[in-house]
Amino acid sequence: MAKNAVVIGAGLAGIQVTQQLTDLGITVNLIEKEPIIGGLSTHLGRVFPTGDCALCLDASGEMYDGHHRKCQYRALVTEKKNLKLYTQAEVKSITELDDGFKVTIKSKPRYVNLDRCVVCLECINVCDEEAPDEYAFRGGTRKAIYRPIPQGVPLAPLIDMEHCTKCGKCVDVCKVNAIDLEEKENSKTINADAVIIATGVEEKIPLDFPGYEYRTSADIISHAELARMIDPAGDTNGVVTTSTGDAVSKVTMVLCVGSRDRTAFEYCSQACCTYSLKHAEMLRDLGIDVTICYMDIRVPNASLHYLTNSLQKGVKFIRGKPDKVKVRNGKPITIVEDTQSQKLMKIESDLVVLASPLAPLGTCNDPVSEFLGNYGFAQRVVKEGKIYSCGTATGPTDIPTSMAEANAIALRVYSDLTGGV
Amino acid sequence: MSKKHTYTYFPGCMIPYRLPHFELTMREVLKKLNVELETTPDHSCCPEPTTFTGVDFEAWVTIAARNVAVSEALGNDTVAMCSGCFHTLAVANHMVHEDTELKDRINKRLKKSGLEVTGTHTVKNLLHVLHNDIGIEAIQKQVSNPLKQLKIAPHYGCHLVRPLEATNMDHADNPQWMDEIIRATGAEVAEFEDKMACCGAPIMPGDEQTSLTITSKHLKNIKASGADAIVVVCPTCYTQMETQQGKVEALSETEFNIPVLYLGELLALSMGLTETVTENQRRYHRVKLTELLEKIGGA
Amino acid sequence: MVTSELNLNFRTWLLDQPEGKTLLRCYQCGRCTSACPVADIEPSFNPRLFLQKILLSDELIAAEQLVWDCLTCEQCEVHCPEHVKIPHILILAKVRGLMTGNVPAAALDRARNITTIGRSLLVSPPMLKTREKMGLPDLGTPPMDMIVEMLADIGIVSRLDKVESNFGGNEDE
Repeated sequence: MAKNAVVIGAGLAGIQVTQQLTDLGITVNLIEKEPIIGGLSTHLGRVFPTGDCALCLDASGEMYDGHHRKCQYRALVTEKKNLKLYTQAEVKSITELDDGFKVTIKSKPRYVNLDRCVVCLECINVCDEEAPDEYAFRGGTRKAIYRPIPQGVPLAPLIDMEHCTKCGKCVDVCKVNAIDLEEKENSKTINADAVIIATGVEEKIPLDFPGYEYRTSADIISHAELARMIDPAGDTNGVVTTSTGDAVSKVTMVLCVGSRDRTAFEYCSQACCTYSLKHAEMLRDLGIDVTICYMDIRVPNASLHYLTNSLQKGVKFIRGKPDKVKVRNGKPITIVEDTQSQKLMKIESDLVVLASPLAPLGTCNDPVSEFLGNYGFAQRVVKEGKIYSCGTATGPTDIPTSMAEANAIALRVYSDLTGGV
Repeated sequence: MSKKHTYTYFPGCMIPYRLPHFELTMREVLKKLNVELETTPDHSCCPEPTTFTGVDFEAWVTIAARNVAVSEALGNDTVAMCSGCFHTLAVANHMVHEDTELKDRINKRLKKSGLEVTGTHTVKNLLHVLHNDIGIEAIQKQVSNPLKQLKIAPHYGCHLVRPLEATNMDHADNPQWMDEIIRATGAEVAEFEDKMACCGAPIMPGDEQTSLTITSKHLKNIKASGADAIVVVCPTCYTQMETQQGKVEALSETEFNIPVLYLGELLALSMGLTETVTENQRRYHRVKLTELLEKIGGA
Repeated sequence: MVTSELNLNFRTWLLDQPEGKTLLRCYQCGRCTSACPVADIEPSFNPRLFLQKILLSDELIAAEQLVWDCLTCEQCEVHCPEHVKIPHILILAKVRGLMTGNVPAAALDRARNITTIGRSLLVSPPMLKTREKMGLPDLGTPPMDMIVEMLADIGIVSRLDKVESNFGGNEDE
């Protein structure tokens, strides 16, 4: 009988390990809590080291010879016979048995039948209800029946019942009877030989971290928020603005806000130096002045061009960790010692971007958190033959590394389950 | 009547001999809250932490630990009214707890007097006592004259709160206990920039100019909040911001005219003990309390 | 700082003092300097730079009047990502430099009071009378013989006899 695995989390690593395992003949149940797959990648815009759109899988192209379409949108995640995708699903329990696991999940209703929907999107056109868009940064809205991002997989829309008035307009206009406003949540028990934790990380906004005023000013933002503004598909159409809608001419970036800090997160979040430089370069291309306040710059070799390009394009660098960002007359001012000139500086700008820690999401789910270790991250092999982990669930890192890790774990799981390669 | 609490009171030097109105008003307030204070002649200067530490740290921590050992032998928790004393005793207690070599060195010196320091004593300041042990509810019950007309700026001061691992206060950047006590008296808490800004006093001996500049910045921020008065717990902060307010005004060429009250005085005013404040105001308050007292309808 | 041979005595001594070892956690990020209220007014007061000098065992810092400009407010320490005990390290530098005369005169006055009468200030009869009038209890006098004897191995009393301050007028209180 074919072996099967449960992969928790359909972010980039979850998708990659699933693709590899299913190719090897293992049946995979891929569990994702959001309505679409992709995890953090759906928020990022362009990613390093190639500058491709983040929905692109496997940025280390040489590693395999194109078995899959690179893009999630075209990756046939929903089409494989031995791959069952559950979206809007959360793991409720993981019970270890002698010969495997019993995993129970609970799925929230989508209200749109995935087998019937042909993605004509007429339902969205007729809907009159508006709601705040989770992917918007400067106040953009979406409808109550919506697709989170245009390339989201599964492709069918979903309904946000909190904003739905059940007026029935979408039901009436749907020519394939795909909408059921009365759909209920669904529980399911899955028997699996192995569990792979791929729950990923979130950019943890430094709400209470002293000195940076994140709460008091909408012009002090995180990189995920900046990415939404720069993304041409975002609600600002790629225009970077202040909270009052004015053009931005100067941006200050602060690295390590809450990372490498005994008061907050002790570990280095690994990827933020690089994506700060990525964003700095993008801002320079938009004609915006950028100053980066750093303690160290940690960039892997494969992404070194972001640093050299930033320097070439005139990004200013100040070696010093700012103590605070104060707001004067509506403008943020960053107070920092330039440790190279030993001068205390007060840098005025239109926006301040804080590189915030990447915190593990596995800790938010009780059954998963049983298997986590230091700082809420999991070991790659938690229990041989049984529980594994890959992607940023094992520690913060960039996408190429996550992909390599997912490939390795896929092979390891296959080998452990079938008794050898 | 709230539950009875007994503490060993560590008096220090500045409050009992320079600013006894602190002790007078707080003792009256604590009496109302069923708190008893016991003293001993064996306590010496804590020693004061802002300059003596830099003269000889080992001597400082030894004398401080000796004071803690004296308290330990008496059995009750220790409460120090002065922030400097509190900081000294709390830090020494904590260091002895963490550093066995230091503890052994000190106990060797204490052996002859029959004293021993264990590092397990409980050193408290008035906010621990009022907010945690007695509780806001019990304080509110004694407030017979709510100070609804007043807006008060709480100045915690650095040595009361930091370092957090030794002081066991609630937060190093934004403590709340004094804010809550102020609200319990019926007054409003004034919000001003840089809540934990230092008063500047510790560097008066070495650099008066910089010291007073720092004080003026802090007073400017408080003034901008519209506060009727500043409330302090530390005698040194009080001296710097109240007794020296004239000097600060001269240096910064700004008029402040902002009264500074000791926490005991604020509580006394709200608990119908106004006389304990007014009978000594001329002697210890250079910045007149007249306007403030008029506002709350006091004599 | 240019030296032909690095003398590590100062640094070794400091690291050996209670809580001195936190110095080694410093990675020179500079948050302390941008947090410091004194650095905000006085550009030559730079906590990060002081730590750098001490890490490099530069003993000249112990004789610099500037170290006495530290408020000991701990704003730096609270915000330091490594919780380096910065004001404490500057205090140790002060202790190291005591005999060079790098101590404000008022600090010496207080220290001498503490080691002779057990109070930081001189307790006068009017002060005692005021307490009596206010109905406040007599606090007695501490056992100075025992306290002074206890300090014998530290040698502070003899140092206080010899040292002369370089700066700072009379205690202005």
